[in-house]
Amino acid sequence: MPIFSYLAMPKSGAKEALCADLAALSHCEVIPSDNQEIVVLVTDTPDETTEDKLQKSLNNLQSLQSLSLAFGYDDQEKQGR
Amino acid sequence: MMKLSTLFLLCAFIFTGSKAFSASVDLSDFDNQGKKIYEAYDATPQIYMSADSGNRNLADFYDLRQYPGSPPRIPHEVDLTFSGDETDCLSCHAKGGYSQEFGKFVPVTPHPENSLCYQCHAQVLTEEKFVETEWKSIMPPRLGRSFLGGSPPPIPHSLQMRENCISCHTGPGAVVEIRVDHSARGNCRQCHAPAVQTTPLQEFVRKP
Amino acid sequence: MKLNRRRFLKYAAASSAVATAGALFPGVSFGNWQNLTNNSGIISWQKAPCRFCGTGCGVLVGVSDGRAVAVKGDPNCSVNKGLCCMKGYHSVQMLYGKDRITTAKVRKNGEMVEVPIKEALDLIAEKLQETKDKHGKDSVAIYGSGQWTIPDGYVASKLFKGCLGTNNVEANARLCMASAVTGFMTSFGIDEPMGCYEDMDHANVFITWGNNMAEMHPVLFSRMLANRKRRTNVTVIDFATRSTRTSQAADKSILFKPQTDLAVANAICYEIIKNDWVNWNFVNEHVSFHKGKTNIGYGTEDHFAFKDKAESINFEEYKLFLEDYTPEKVEKISGVSARDIKYMAALYGDPSLKVTSFWCMGMNQHTRGTWINNLVYNIHLLVGKISTPGNSPFSLTGQPSACGTVREVGTLTHKLPHGVVMKEPHREMAAEIWDVPVSNIDPKPTYHTVEMFRALDRGDIKFIWIQVTNPMVTMPNLRRYRDGALKDDRFVVVSDVYPTPTTDVADVILPAALWVEQEGMFGNSERRTQHFAEIVKPPGEAMSDTWQIIEVAKRLGFEKQFPWTQDDYIGKIWEEYRKFHAGPKHEMASYEVLKKRSGVQWPFVDGKETRWRFNAKHDPACTNGKDFDFYGKKDHKAWIWARPYEPAAESPDSEYNFWLNTGRVIEHWHTGSMTRRIPVLHNAVPSSYVELNPEDAAELGIVNGEMVKIISRRGEITIPAQIKGRGVPPRGMVFVPFFDESYLVNEVTLDAFCPISKQPDYKKCAVRLEKA
Repeated sequence: MPIFSYLAMPKSGAKEALCADLAALSHCEVIPSDNQEIVVLVTDTPDETTEDKLQKSLNNLQSLQSLSLAFGYDDQEKQGR
Repeated sequence: MMKLSTLFLLCAFIFTGSKAFSASVDLSDFDNQGKKIYEAYDATPQIYMSADSGNRNLADFYDLRQYPGSPPRIPHEVDLTFSGDETDCLSCHAKGGYSQEFGKFVPVTPHPENSLCYQCHAQVLTEEKFVETEWKSIMPPRLGRSFLGGSPPPIPHSLQMRENCISCHTGPGAVVEIRVDHSARGNCRQCHAPAVQTTPLQEFVRKP
Repeated sequence: MKLNRRRFLKYAAASSAVATAGALFPGVSFGNWQNLTNNSGIISWQKAPCRFCGTGCGVLVGVSDGRAVAVKGDPNCSVNKGLCCMKGYHSVQMLYGKDRITTAKVRKNGEMVEVPIKEALDLIAEKLQETKDKHGKDSVAIYGSGQWTIPDGYVASKLFKGCLGTNNVEANARLCMASAVTGFMTSFGIDEPMGCYEDMDHANVFITWGNNMAEMHPVLFSRMLANRKRRTNVTVIDFATRSTRTSQAADKSILFKPQTDLAVANAICYEIIKNDWVNWNFVNEHVSFHKGKTNIGYGTEDHFAFKDKAESINFEEYKLFLEDYTPEKVEKISGVSARDIKYMAALYGDPSLKVTSFWCMGMNQHTRGTWINNLVYNIHLLVGKISTPGNSPFSLTGQPSACGTVREVGTLTHKLPHGVVMKEPHREMAAEIWDVPVSNIDPKPTYHTVEMFRALDRGDIKFIWIQVTNPMVTMPNLRRYRDGALKDDRFVVVSDVYPTPTTDVADVILPAALWVEQEGMFGNSERRTQHFAEIVKPPGEAMSDTWQIIEVAKRLGFEKQFPWTQDDYIGKIWEEYRKFHAGPKHEMASYEVLKKRSGVQWPFVDGKETRWRFNAKHDPACTNGKDFDFYGKKDHKAWIWARPYEPAAESPDSEYNFWLNTGRVIEHWHTGSMTRRIPVLHNAVPSSYVELNPEDAAELGIVNGEMVKIISRRGEITIPAQIKGRGVPPRGMVFVPFFDESYLVNEVTLDAFCPISKQPDYKKCAVRLEKA
């Protein structure tokens, strides 16, 4: 049950589109900056499969320039060890 | 003749005496000169209040200031014959509007009654420093710091010299990030309470 | 637990990303995300009236995971059309102050001890019964407020008047609206405004009579300003004793000396008659002339009694009476220039202008409060500018349900939900609906508020239950009443949400549900009843004031009169209460309709709200076949009263040489027990102060922020000075906001009241100042 947070950079001028795209995806919470072209993305998925699917969807977003990880946590992993 | 003028003076005194009761308070000089807001609200045409040119942003705005709240430098050339005669600055900066010369909308001053502009606003003749400085500014107030989701954000800056909300927060000369979209409502401070960000937040605790 | 942990992790994830962004991009801002702690991110919105003033703005309360998290204006509510003021927008934060009272407390050996609420309710019932048995029915009392919901006030009246048989039922609205009520009753024979807020969209002239609307009724005020901007023919006149935000916004600010509004109003009438601006068609058809007693006293002594006596006069006698009030004579009394008086008269007199007058505490908290209400009605009646769109003498209210609960339910000593205790048919109606013997209802009123607290001090009242109000901050001449409440054999029960100076004097404290933690209804200034559901759960053992009273009533053996369950009591109470108002003059909407709509105006007849009463085009109760029917009076006419100028109870003299005026600021509501726990409001005005005129301050050698001692014949306070702050009093007057329990200005004020309405005057007494 992983939780991640990212800094998402939109393609030039596409912040609003990016916010809309991200908000349309399940398991995503979006916190847009109100004065710069940056969006914080928090993802919370129930399992690995969903997480993988989400990663693929994120990679396919046209409005997204780059995604950099800020925070990661995974229940499963922890319990496994 | 002498007697007549005394009489005349006496009459004048009585007249102003009764008038003075209402006139005893200068309405423009209390509550952070709040009268300015009402006057600006009434005087600004609706079309102007809702206009947005989008050509000024917060980065430019703070770039002209040494610290948040300092008087901005003059970002453009000033006529060499300019001697500090206020009417020159105010001809553009009192009411705003489009400037052919600069090709953009002019920002409006919140304090047109302080007309000796050069007293605070300096020209920039060189960007070179005499000696490098270790000066550090503070962070500008963050935007949109509402106390709860969707509530009107408080006024993050001191109102001194910035009493007239409408001059900076509406119109095509306004900084785009801080321009309001509900200028149809004229009593700004009915919703926006002052909470200056450089002063610590207090909590109400009953005295024992 | 797991959910909480997960929520915490997500919060940590978001903070970490925000922090990273802050490091990489200086100055980046993420708005208000930190304040939202909910996990689901889903907010549901439910309608309610705002908890604060009597404007009655509709709000939508946002709830997420069982907590109120946001507020927005209700666009469906015609009162405010989606706009709120800063108090409304932040109101939900008042639910979550750290020192919220969540359990009952009982005084044991001098200490307040937490007990289960059942035990506290048992004790209240036992003490109430014991006191009644030992000292008689009139030794027990209940004191509520205009913040009581309608069901709160209704069950209080039913229990005390109907079951226990005492008329010791009062509410703090006596301190804020009583003069408005007696003004309506004497001029029209029926309470509450004939017009509505829609008048603001039609009027050309607005005159605020001692009414700082910009701060006290800001949402209505900005509607007025928007009208002035949109329509070119709108003028705003501020007629006041102190310069305020309203004066700044007005086209003209006219100051008058305290109490002389009486003389100015008469002078306006004098001018109207002199210039023949009288609307004779209207006056001949719809107006009759009267006079009452004069030199009527001020009520500062215990057991003060007064009864007015109306005498008919004719127009010529009225005209003769006005001879004392020529603008030139009145200029000398009032400080208002004859020119300004004539200007105001001309605005009222011009047949092409629609005029709305607004007032609130300036006219009501007045030792001649009833009179000044009458006199402003006189002006509107002479020129026939009443009960039509835009022509409106409009009495604003300060509490969310002063109208709904106190005036309509009748939670005052002489009142019943329909009519007064003195009239047999009214008692019979109440007895029948309440299912009690008619002999239970005492035909004699007992104590009005000031006299009720005097009776507590004297020992005539030994048990008092105080709900939703904070009299130990708001009573004038406060020290006497606090000392009285603390006397040994007095038993004081206080239901409240936060600790206050009033809970400090309590023997039992009951934790109360606040605002949308219970179902209820309020009634606003324009006859609008507004229902709200229980939107969030009350904390701990807190329960609604209504249910507290029902629990005690059941313990006293009145199960038959209070048969309801906690699931359905509000709807059942409403339908029972509604029977009192059946008929076209006061018909109320059904429970089902109230639940659906953002407020419904009464009279609500055949599914239609009544916007302008007494106007045959709008009001189904008009039956005389004419264009207007003032059916409140037996002669079907509105009454013009010859009421003279009489001075204030206490005026400045050589020893106490300043007027003391008290009031509010926009940030804080009444005693601040709610608004001070809202961070943004507390930070904007963290403490009270005394406003001085700059010249007086200079003369006294006082600068901004220095401490000033305000001394009256009754007490003194030491308080910081404010010069050129929120408002500026004229020379010879100081002003103190009363919200701050650290500076109890009411220890200085005088408990003089209007002999007709029994409402105290908080705006005028004499003080002297010392630099502390």
